[in-house]
Amino acid sequence: MVMEMSSTLKNTIITCSGLAAATAFAFLFSFFVPENSGNIALIYILALVIIIRFTDGYLPGLISSVIAVVCVNFLFTYPYFELNFTLSGYPITFLEMFGVTLITSTMTTNMKQQARMIAEKDKLLSETEKEKMRANLLRAVSHDLRTPLTSIIGASSSYLENSALLAEEEKNTIVTHIQEDANWLLNMVENLLSVTRINNQSSKVKKTDESVEEIVSAAILRLKKRFREITVNVSVPDELLIIPMDAILIEQVLINLLENAIVHSKTTKPIQCYVENHSDYVSFHVKDFGIGISEERLQNIFDGNSYIGNQESDSNKGMGIGLSICKTIITAHNGTINARNHGQGAEFYFTLPKDEVNYESKT
Amino acid sequence: MNPRHEILLIEDERNICNFIVTTLKTQDYKVDFAVNAVSGLSLAASGCPDLILLDLGLPDMDGIEVIRNIREWSNVPIIVISARTQEKEKVEALDAGADDYITKPFGTSELMARIRTALRRSALSGSTPLSAQNKYTAKDLVIDYEKHIVTVNGEIVHFTQIEYKILTYLSRNAGKVITYDSLITHVWGPFADSNNRILRVNMANIRRKLENNPADPQYILTEIGIGYRMIDNENL
Repeated sequence: MVMEMSSTLKNTIITCSGLAAATAFAFLFSFFVPENSGNIALIYILALVIIIRFTDGYLPGLISSVIAVVCVNFLFTYPYFELNFTLSGYPITFLEMFGVTLITSTMTTNMKQQARMIAEKDKLLSETEKEKMRANLLRAVSHDLRTPLTSIIGASSSYLENSALLAEEEKNTIVTHIQEDANWLLNMVENLLSVTRINNQSSKVKKTDESVEEIVSAAILRLKKRFREITVNVSVPDELLIIPMDAILIEQVLINLLENAIVHSKTTKPIQCYVENHSDYVSFHVKDFGIGISEERLQNIFDGNSYIGNQESDSNKGMGIGLSICKTIITAHNGTINARNHGQGAEFYFTLPKDEVNYESKT
Repeated sequence: MNPRHEILLIEDERNICNFIVTTLKTQDYKVDFAVNAVSGLSLAASGCPDLILLDLGLPDMDGIEVIRNIREWSNVPIIVISARTQEKEKVEALDAGADDYITKPFGTSELMARIRTALRRSALSGSTPLSAQNKYTAKDLVIDYEKHIVTVNGEIVHFTQIEYKILTYLSRNAGKVITYDSLITHVWGPFADSNNRILRVNMANIRRKLENNPADPQYILTEIGIGYRMIDNENL
């Protein structure tokens, strides 16, 4: 109701002010160039088109066209300040203006309606897309959380129930497994939590300027806490790169990629992690020298459901969610993320756009 | 551990509480614990602990309030326990007077290292103020405060005045996290622009002079979103 009221009010205001402006302009015009009613009609037609453009519905256009016709007749054609519809050719002017108004207002109204429909359709589409992503994620999460939880519950109860029968070494193995699974769960939870840092409506993140080398080193440090025996060869460009990003999220992406490289490459060869500086973006690379990724997995590896239909789903648990979260994070940063086989193993790399300003390491 | 140190743990999660208490006891600390802020504060006042471990997410009071409250009457080291993604909360806690923080979940060794650092720092500030120490040593790095000389592997490294100021401030607080804001205030004064880009640039330069690989630093570690921590020579 209020919306309707305000839209009527808006239409009225636009119509009135449009006509008033046209009239004022026409007066000025006729003052300087008398006896030129053809141009005056054109001025009104221009005003009509503008009014139609900025109002909704047919009504404002039609009303203003009647008013305009009357105005031209009353104010600007001889006899002045008198209505006289018997002038030769006047009915033609009248019909012309009416026709122009009718056609223009029909066209613009149609256009506006179509634009609105398209916008609605887009919104609906992106909504379903989001809904689909959310459902996929939820499904993947429940599947992936259950596996380690089952193992934790099983292992701990077997420890408690058979404690007398187990040798010290066996106990150690059980607890080690519990710890591994718990760590894995923790990483999963942090992944999920990190998604909550991305704005739900706009899918944007809060960016601050961060130094690339600090993010990389922090990720490596955190990773080494969990995997003590791994070697990662890290290198960053010599110049200092400062890039706008959500540091916690990018750290999470790096950790996910590095962890995948450790867990899924089935090799103990050192992992390479390096950063490259390009003219308007920076790329981060994580390279392992292991078994690589099969072609059919590569196609939808970031979709979050790459485990579906996979026979050995338990052996690569969590890879799906971790990577789909990486994709979400990088997309929210307007970057790109990709995976490929480089011949001796797998490589994941993502890019982050630089901002317009980039400082070099000079003080 | 010569005189047994007393640690007060304020944590509302029973399971976490149990595990920390057990760990601390095996390390020969005397431990007291409270499950909410009110009883924690009264225990802190009556028991005079040597160190307080404080969880920020207590049910009855904001953790920052607890820190402020304790800081009104005591300088006892406070280590805050908090979750990873709450950088803002950690910075607030540090600025309110907490000495350090540890991120949940943490391993025993990490917790013990933090506790040892905090206890040693408070013991030192009791007898000889840290500013009176004339050398910082860690791995191959030596900072001689009297002579203003920094050496790595015995070779002298030259720093600009600002860089040296940052380095001394971090090394005098080795083992402790220094927030961006406190570092900026200390080096550039209280009215400096809080934009930490200039700090990042200086830090990058320091790292290039100090570290073999700036992406894998040995001496100055980054705590993302919070600040820097210089390694402590006794916790290597």
